[in-house]
Amino acid sequence: MTDMAQTSDLMVIAIARLLRDGETVLHGVASVVPMVAVNVAKRLHAPNLVYLSVAGAVDPRLPALPSSSTDQRLMTGSASVFANEDFYDFCSRGQLDTAFLGAVQMDAEGRTNVSVIGEFERPKVRLPGGGGAAVIMPTAKRVIVWRTQHNRRVFVEKVDFVTGVGNVDRVVTPLAVLQRQKGRLRVESVHAHSSVEEVVTNTGFDLGIVEPVPVTPEPTAAELAALAAVDPGRVRDLEFH
Amino acid sequence: MIGSDIPRVIGLKTVIDPYTGAEVYVVPRLQPDWAVLHVHEADELGNARVYGSPFWDRPQSRAAKRVIITAERIVLTEELARQPELTLVPHFLVEAVVHAPRGAWPGSCHPYYDVDRPEVERYLALAREPGRLEAYLAEPEPFDGPLQTADGGRRKKEDGSDASEPAQVEATRNGDVEPAVTSVACPPSAVHRSAGAGR
Repeated sequence: MTDMAQTSDLMVIAIARLLRDGETVLHGVASVVPMVAVNVAKRLHAPNLVYLSVAGAVDPRLPALPSSSTDQRLMTGSASVFANEDFYDFCSRGQLDTAFLGAVQMDAEGRTNVSVIGEFERPKVRLPGGGGAAVIMPTAKRVIVWRTQHNRRVFVEKVDFVTGVGNVDRVVTPLAVLQRQKGRLRVESVHAHSSVEEVVTNTGFDLGIVEPVPVTPEPTAAELAALAAVDPGRVRDLEFH
Repeated sequence: MIGSDIPRVIGLKTVIDPYTGAEVYVVPRLQPDWAVLHVHEADELGNARVYGSPFWDRPQSRAAKRVIITAERIVLTEELARQPELTLVPHFLVEAVVHAPRGAWPGSCHPYYDVDRPEVERYLALAREPGRLEAYLAEPEPFDGPLQTADGGRRKKEDGSDASEPAQVEATRNGDVEPAVTSVACPPSAVHRSAGAGR
């Protein structure tokens, strides 16, 4: 493994690369990594990306990103208020291009669990719950999932509880970028500091590896500069502690 | 929600959409007994403004049987009526208004003050210890100066000197129900004046 800060930077940049100019993108609460990634993408290749945050902001313009993806400072410079009921309706109508969602557990088909570990009525751990995941996952055109841990507790053969299932496209982790192909998660690229073996060892379901597996391109100087400009305080690292 | 386990465990039912023929979940109405909404400005009738993002304040104010407004500032009705489009909650939905400057602390009320992270962490630690939560809630409010707008608003020293004077509380009633809120933990009035000046 490489050090935490490099992994944090690489994950944010790998996510930013997935975003497209002109699309509408939403992130929710506890989503610092996507918050930074969206702003990096807007600064680089996607200046016309429409950035919607759970704070209700539309393309906020901030001197520095706050340490919470729910912070009211995300309203700074916002074009409008697009409150929670607005973006849920927007997504349910099929108009949202890309949504970011988290997962405590995830299976090979991209089902996510953020509800409970163990049985629902007698859980070992009661998790924060799905927020809008059950509605957003099938109605957003594309869902990107990120998780700052990659191990067999996260990536499991069968999730204990299905919180959401739907249009998962990519999963970005500290080890790799996974892509859903024909309904199953496959390895799109392995980060340079990791290996196919490490990814397979830390994944609880069959990834159907076909060699050679591409290596995630290293961050470029321009990407790192954009990242430093967007997030000089490194709030992105908060998810890795 | 098709494919999710949530409908099963909370007992959601489906109907056939008469327009498309598709099977869709219908969610029963949510009706909390109370919604307590902290706002930037309210008048004594209950008209309330929220600056910045309202998050879920609007649907919550409509869904609840009764609404309590806690407000950083109490302002004149005429002042709010000058721009009625900024009033998120109209008075007839509101049961009671509490003047509660710093009422969101240790959370944030942008742009007046940011989240007080050390205090949130202290609360989280104490809340895990049996019996400590009551003592925590009984602590005097720690403010002794003007509102801080930077991260980690100032907290008072532990020596307890200049413990907060009794809160400046103004509760008004609306409708035919006794006011439910007669006291609330509030910082001293100096903070209130700063809040006003900070706008």
